[in-house]
Amino acid sequence: MLSVRAVSKSYGKSTVLDSATFELQPGEVLATVGSNGAGKSTLIKAVIGLIRFDGDVSVDGIDVRRHGREARARIGYLPQNPAFHTDLNVRETVTFFAQLRGAAASAARSAVEAVGLAEHAEKQVRALSGGMRQRLALAIAQLGDPPLLMLDEPATGLDVAARLELREFIRDQRARGKAILLSTHWLDDVPSIADRVIVLDQGRTTFHGPAAAFATRAVARSLLYVRLNGHSGEAIPLIQATGGDVTRSGDWLAITCPANNKAHVMETLLGAGITILDFRVEEAAAPSAPGPLPGGTQ
Amino acid sequence: MTAVRSILGKELRDAVRSRWLLAFAATFALIALALAVVQEQGDVGAQGFNRTTASLINLCLMLVPLLALILGAGAIAGERDRGTLATLLAQPLSATQLLIGKYVGLTIAVWMAIALGFGMAGVLLALVRPVADFGHYLLFIVLSSALASAMLSIGMVISVLSDGRAKALAIAVLAWFALVLFYDLAAIGLALSVTSSGQSLLLTALLNPVESVRILAILSLEPDLHVLGPMGAYLHLELGTLRSVVLLTGAVFAWAVAPLAVGAMLFRRQDV
Repeated sequence: MLSVRAVSKSYGKSTVLDSATFELQPGEVLATVGSNGAGKSTLIKAVIGLIRFDGDVSVDGIDVRRHGREARARIGYLPQNPAFHTDLNVRETVTFFAQLRGAAASAARSAVEAVGLAEHAEKQVRALSGGMRQRLALAIAQLGDPPLLMLDEPATGLDVAARLELREFIRDQRARGKAILLSTHWLDDVPSIADRVIVLDQGRTTFHGPAAAFATRAVARSLLYVRLNGHSGEAIPLIQATGGDVTRSGDWLAITCPANNKAHVMETLLGAGITILDFRVEEAAAPSAPGPLPGGTQ
Repeated sequence: MTAVRSILGKELRDAVRSRWLLAFAATFALIALALAVVQEQGDVGAQGFNRTTASLINLCLMLVPLLALILGAGAIAGERDRGTLATLLAQPLSATQLLIGKYVGLTIAVWMAIALGFGMAGVLLALVRPVADFGHYLLFIVLSSALASAMLSIGMVISVLSDGRAKALAIAVLAWFALVLFYDLAAIGLALSVTSSGQSLLLTALLNPVESVRILAILSLEPDLHVLGPMGAYLHLELGTLRSVVLLTGAVFAWAVAPLAVGAMLFRRQDV
């Protein structure tokens, strides 16, 4: 379904994607994992033909560079930050994209219903919440029933319920024989939805192998921000003793620690009588490289 | 073609919804009527429509390019600003198709604004004026539309080359100053400072669609080429009126096509 061979992308002397190579078959989910700037979105944009690149990409045997339109007719794309013409309503937006994809008006209506936006069909896009926009983008990605879905950070900005729905959606699409390439920097989604994983680090593929093998070795990490009541000097060695890395940022301490250890960090601080004025947790970002993996390509 | 039609249709819908089409149509109508009324109070005579047309030419040679450049400049840069460009180009749609769809849609919208505005004013004037010169007035509407097409094409290139709407609009306004205001002064300067060869003045006119349309508009009112001075004498001697009109019309057509073609070539090579 999708063949990516030695795809590279550079901006000047900076290489943002270095010789990415993989195949994706129908009914298979491939997750590209990496921190921000690792090259995940660049890879997806190259596959869609939104950027120029070195190497070869073909969808269903169609060369993306030479026959971009034909290839894109087989791709449903969910962008990282879905953006639409905000003066249109939901129905008009989906109808417009259905026309662009050569899909029937009835397909537009079905797509709106499928993502649960039927009762919001006449609502202006500018009035939609982030989650609803994500649904709208999913509706558009499914127009014309493309055999390949490209989901760029689909879980970003979704609450827990919506993320569960998204997992269900991906499973359903896989069961229908769709090939799915998704990018994410949240590790906890990967084992439950992906068959294979590619880890990107500064554009280079540092791991390519089965999701199960990836999950056993990859350690999810959290970024924890805490604002303390003037006890930063006392707190830093305590945090380091729990295995966390600490950096100061104004009144805040930024703590990077294993995701399953963040509660322990908080307990340690509270146990030492340190008052936490405020805190924020960013969920687990993918490690740059999960270390040697059995059955994987390093 | 379906994709181009969809983009074209959306541009037209946007023009109607945002009401700029009606606003400009009303502005054009008011300007035409106001000029007619002012002349009515001075001296009218039988040359009603011709006088109105002559007065409108200079005003429209300023207004229409500004409108078209700004609309063209916002076409792609606006999508880029909103983040919708990637969503559009991720569809089975080429960059060239998107550009052409937008260009044709905007061109039709501007033509509609011109035709509606000056058309309504023309009908009202025809009720109180002799209609013998109405043909010149219609020709003026056609020339304004042709000028709009050329300037929209230039605006589209500006849009392709700009990374944001604000930058595109700033460059469009600069282009307007250069083509509409400074170009005239530069041409006069050229004529005064060097030997005002008819050939060089003709070249100067061909290199700017505003000047080409200005000369075509003057010729539509006064077919005697000598009213154009040294350039007119050159045209009379070398080409004659008909060939001159064809040459100038060809130049305007080239301005409507060439920048768009360059824009499409550049757009295809850009990363989104």
